[in-house]
Amino acid sequence: MVFNSFNFVIFLIPVLVLYWSFFKKSSVLQNSLLLASSVIFYGLADLRFLFLLVASILINYGLGLKINKSAANEKTQKRYWYLGLIFNIGLLVYFKYTHFFIEGFVELLHTLGVGASYNSLTILLPLGISFFTFQSLGYLIDVYNEEVKPSSNLLEFSLFISYFPKILSGPIERASNLLPQIKNKRTFSYEVFVDGLRQILWGLFAKVVIAENCAIMADPIFNDYENKSGLLLLIGAFYYAIQLYADFSGYSNMAIGISKLFGIQLMRNFSTPFFSTNISDFWRKWHISLTTWMMDYVFTPLSFTVRNYHKKGLVIAIITTFVLVGFWHGAHWTFGLYGLLHGLYFIPLVYSGVINSSQKLTEGTRLPSLKVLLKMVALFVLIMLTDVFFRVPTVLDGIHYFRGMGSKSLFDFQSVFVSNTSILILVLVVIFMGVEWLNKEKTHDFDIKNLHLLLRWLCYIGLFVMLILFGRSSETFIYFQF
Amino acid sequence: METTHIKETISQVLQSILEHNNFEMNDELTAKDVDGWDSLSHMMILTKIEEAFQIKFKLRDLNKLKNLGSLVAVIQSKR
Repeated sequence: MVFNSFNFVIFLIPVLVLYWSFFKKSSVLQNSLLLASSVIFYGLADLRFLFLLVASILINYGLGLKINKSAANEKTQKRYWYLGLIFNIGLLVYFKYTHFFIEGFVELLHTLGVGASYNSLTILLPLGISFFTFQSLGYLIDVYNEEVKPSSNLLEFSLFISYFPKILSGPIERASNLLPQIKNKRTFSYEVFVDGLRQILWGLFAKVVIAENCAIMADPIFNDYENKSGLLLLIGAFYYAIQLYADFSGYSNMAIGISKLFGIQLMRNFSTPFFSTNISDFWRKWHISLTTWMMDYVFTPLSFTVRNYHKKGLVIAIITTFVLVGFWHGAHWTFGLYGLLHGLYFIPLVYSGVINSSQKLTEGTRLPSLKVLLKMVALFVLIMLTDVFFRVPTVLDGIHYFRGMGSKSLFDFQSVFVSNTSILILVLVVIFMGVEWLNKEKTHDFDIKNLHLLLRWLCYIGLFVMLILFGRSSETFIYFQF
Repeated sequence: METTHIKETISQVLQSILEHNNFEMNDELTAKDVDGWDSLSHMMILTKIEEAFQIKFKLRDLNKLKNLGSLVAVIQSKR
């Protein structure tokens, strides 16, 4: 049941009505309703793995309490903590990476001259597993580090993990942000509710108008890249980069917007990343909930351990973190390479010292200066080219894709047939990016509450019209596979 | 060691790494208030502080560093 489906609307409206009427009296009632809705939501999406989600909740809940209670006895506490690490990482490794390891092992045996075969195992991937195990893991680390107190209320903890707006694709929430909100009774705020609707509308536009239309441009090129000119391959990469962003930021905006309808503020996941001027700035704005997670729980301890190697240590920590960010998306070398490349892009920043300088070049400006614009475009091209590895099935395909793009046919302008549809899609992308530029310093991409009433309604109507005229239905999101 | 002296040294470290001095050294100052003080520069800052005071932080100390006041307290406890 995706957010942009009729079924979801039928599911959401009664829950909302009940939530703000019969169930509004106490946080227990509100949480009970939200938990029941979340169980139904997840069960409808993936009934087979509902038991896994429940088991994960119960085990992490128990471990959180145990870690806290055994604080006086360091040995016992560590034991519980390791148990939590092993359980959550084990869950992720089993469901996501078993295939990858076995395949690699069989290949290694082949290289060593040992004949081996294996029946391809089919391990189904539970929906949202990368998101909820990371959230649970972060929770346990926070409890262990005494950053947060463990939840001693199973209802609240269950909702913290399974809350339906974010269970399938994040944002990966932090206990310090979400648990206190769940603990307290939510009171209805008209402003927050309307702002949530606004954010949903923008997310919907990003997904069904921008991402889906970019997909119809990019898909035919990627699916038959051997027979396309270099110029078309470049165009394919451009539309895919926009598609990936619109798909996931659109999803995130819908998730955050839906949550606002219930009076719960989820963390921001994208903050107009394409208006960044260097790679470090980009990662502060792209998939923020994953990046900050990785920064806090992987990069910080790692860079702390190797801090005596100064810049070299920093580079090692950055590259390791980004390779892990890559593999978090799935057990494919393409994702690993995607992460590795992003890590490598940091090297010039670390050695030039730019990494520490203030990155607010676009702040407070209506139009960027030429220098800033060039930097933004150069960074976009870099990201766009790296995204090719995110899209192709194998690294070899990616290399061939690049070879095609680097051929003479890059200047074969006759290979591109400019149709009305392609012009229209380009115009839609420009509108999309334009609105994001105007709202780049706001709390979200479509935070237009300060616009004049008339202008605001013109925006809503404009978006509605575009949704009806150019929207394409889709039953999935790119990030559901992670 | 005197708090003011510690703060003065920290301020010099921050200036040398972040290349600006747009911050006020009060106890409530957090990394978020200072331009460029993020997870990447954090480790460089801590390494410089370790060198300046000839101390060694532990990984668990990192979690105690909530603001400038707590940083000063951790440094004092190490000396």
